[in-house]
Amino acid sequence: MKIAAQDAQRPRHLRAAETAILFTVSRQLFAIAADTVQEIRSTDSIAGSASEFACPEVPKVSHTFERARRQYYVVSGCAHFGLRVSRPTLVLILRQLRVAVLVDRIDRMTELHGIFDLPLAFGGNERRWYRGLTYLDDHVIPVVNPRGFLTAEEFHRIEGVPQAAEVTHQVEGAASQ
Amino acid sequence: MISLESAQNDSFVLLQLAEQRFALPAGLVAELAPPVRLHSFPHTSPHISGVIVRRGRILPVYDAARALSGKSSFAHRFYLVARRQFGETSEMTAIPVDGECELVTSDFRAPANDAASYISGEITAAGESIGILDIESLIQSHSQPTGPTEARQ
Repeated sequence: MKIAAQDAQRPRHLRAAETAILFTVSRQLFAIAADTVQEIRSTDSIAGSASEFACPEVPKVSHTFERARRQYYVVSGCAHFGLRVSRPTLVLILRQLRVAVLVDRIDRMTELHGIFDLPLAFGGNERRWYRGLTYLDDHVIPVVNPRGFLTAEEFHRIEGVPQAAEVTHQVEGAASQ
Repeated sequence: MISLESAQNDSFVLLQLAEQRFALPAGLVAELAPPVRLHSFPHTSPHISGVIVRRGRILPVYDAARALSGKSSFAHRFYLVARRQFGETSEMTAIPVDGECELVTSDFRAPANDAASYISGEITAAGESIGILDIESLIQSHSQPTGPTEARQ
């Protein structure tokens, strides 16, 4: 009997090494494919152009900002992953998604040669959060799924929330009537 | 580490969880692994405490002691690596166990009427009646999703 040999849990070897950015949120290390990140900015550099945003159904989105005539939603990495609140210093602006993620710091860039499927025992939100797991320098690191930061349903909910400026305009309009 | 290559159908592995002894059919058990490093990351799956790396594979760690008693055992000495079935796919799961495990041969008996839902039968070992643990039933009886589990390093 050699049960271990029957277990199919092997890493998916990537056709080519994938460049990844390792970043931390509340001291937890994550990896994200570098080609899914359009830009990394300091929180200070977007503070001037960001507006506060509140949607009780999606509390992890705290701000929005406009960029190239597109509205981006700023997701707190701590709130998204349920981690202890930390002080983010950087924003990962994602490519092809109107999402920016607050993170604490960039650890480094590295190459991933394989990604393990998330074990089936994990059956919760993490199946949406992660593409899989990678093993690097004796650490198991979750590889995040960029599309997991805001689902289509969450987008639908937050897109229905009037912007702060619109609310102000509506209130002013109501007051002048 | 014990080898179970010669285990028979009436063979069981006795293990200690939450100060209770249980039996697992030896056919489900791959090995008893040393207490290697536990890697944790955020997730919402109840009673999964993280993963370990064993023989080049990443194995989820199911904290059965916590499911049984409500508290984790921090004194566990080994990981019992056992097979779980997910539809047609099987996956190895590591279960932290408190003490030595023992391979015994015994006849299977139906569970007592008042046995817990996760006890699928009984065996007798050294004059003691020991419940056979049904991991799937135990997991299903504690499968309510939790809030995100903060990562522990």
